[in-house]
Amino acid sequence: MRGLTASRGSLTVDLVGPLWRTLPWRALAAAGALGLLVAATPAATGAEPAPWQTLLLLRGAALTGALGLAFLLDDPARHLTAPVPTPRLVRQALRVALVAPLAALWWTAVLLLTPSASRPPAGGVTLEAVTVGAFALAAAALAVRLTDEARPGPFVAAALLLIAVIAPLLAPEDWALFVQAEDPRWSAGHERWAVLAAAVGAVGAGCGTEPLRRRRGRRQPLVRPDGR
Amino acid sequence: MTPTVSASGLSLHYGRTRALDDVSLRLTPGVTGLLGPNGAGKTTLLRVLATAVPADRGAFTVLGHDPGTSRGRQEVRRRLGYLPQTPGFHPDFTAFEFVDYVAILKELADRRERHREVRRVLEEVDLGDVRGRRIKKLSGGMRQRVALAAALVGDPGFLVLDEPTVGLDPEQRMRFRELIAEAGEGRTVLLSTHQTEDVAMLCHRVIVMAAGAVRFDGTPAELTARAAGRVWSSTEKDPGAKAGWRTGTGSFRNVGDPPPGAEPAAPTLEDGYLLVLDDAGTEVAA
Repeated sequence: MRGLTASRGSLTVDLVGPLWRTLPWRALAAAGALGLLVAATPAATGAEPAPWQTLLLLRGAALTGALGLAFLLDDPARHLTAPVPTPRLVRQALRVALVAPLAALWWTAVLLLTPSASRPPAGGVTLEAVTVGAFALAAAALAVRLTDEARPGPFVAAALLLIAVIAPLLAPEDWALFVQAEDPRWSAGHERWAVLAAAVGAVGAGCGTEPLRRRRGRRQPLVRPDGR
Repeated sequence: MTPTVSASGLSLHYGRTRALDDVSLRLTPGVTGLLGPNGAGKTTLLRVLATAVPADRGAFTVLGHDPGTSRGRQEVRRRLGYLPQTPGFHPDFTAFEFVDYVAILKELADRRERHREVRRVLEEVDLGDVRGRRIKKLSGGMRQRVALAAALVGDPGFLVLDEPTVGLDPEQRMRFRELIAEAGEGRTVLLSTHQTEDVAMLCHRVIVMAAGAVRFDGTPAELTARAAGRVWSSTEKDPGAKAGWRTGTGSFRNVGDPPPGAEPAAPTLEDGYLLVLDDAGTEVAA
């Protein structure tokens, strides 16, 4: 049977179809639709929002999209497919790669739905959206790494929502992230967003690797494999 | 016989809880049963041997490969079939699609050969006729057989089965036993179970675990022999027995140190198991 083993490339191509079907489409579609609704609110109501209001709507839409991404690594067959030769990092990266083009299209639509007159610089707000999305994915990867839960999505989404509420309140003044477009700290703030994006990307990738040794004294998994 | 799986000093802690305590074992081809009460460490041991979680300490080899290295773990996984306690499925997949998905993850790259192999294992578990049916439409027993097919795909040399007969009705359990017995021909199977009948019917060897440690390692006959002369019948439950229960005939079956003049009864594997647990300090009173 080992004679059947061939290159990783052809396996990756074969894996795309089944993996596409295992993605949590309901959660992604619900989050995507809600994000579009949020972004389309001014156009739908005929309102002319101030720049800060448009920025708030875009940040809200980005958070909504990230809440959908929190479910991306949910896999009901996780325990059965845990000890397979295809590394977890490859499987997770493929999932991200499959939704990335759709996410990019979705975000473009979100941007276009907001009034152009009050729209903040697209580059900066897109960086924020990418970072929040990457944060959700890193949190999901961390949950997969640290727990035995096959579907950590709801827990990750709840944690993300909580962090989104408290982060602007607790962030130190000299490390402000949630600044307005006309604020002189906009550029500096987005340098921080870039650092944050790189950091959460690294954490997410690190969590995807499977350790050969366990750190001594790790706590009991939050959920046992039998669900008890 | 040369062991196909060899482990020494496996330990694993969850905080202060010792899930595995210096476990050493050697497995040979055939079905080895793993018995133990809830929390004994059976599932943890299976997950470690299946490379699903790494141990804190200790080492093991599977079919000559050391999963303590990246390359070694990869080689072990290429030769491994794993059926977890709660497999979990993608319910919209058909049985064929799901096993094919697992086969891709197991690096069976040639599509034609892979599909032939998927059909073969589905036939082997008697699901050939329903391979096009969605998993959500299958019964619990059929789903369990889909999981077994997924474990068997790629012809693994080492098969790890975690309580595969739980939740099955007697007929399904009997059919599953036949499948496990067939799977054990020529390959090493480690079967975790609560059912002593599974062990009695299937296994050439049995390991009993309690509190994360191996308490017995031998043949089913040796485990049964542990209870020789330590099982008796009585009209009342004997307060001096380690365990005792009313049987269908109304008399009591007692296990432990019999009082003088007790009416001896033929020991079973379950009696031996209960006595091993009692020796390990595990509560067994029935």
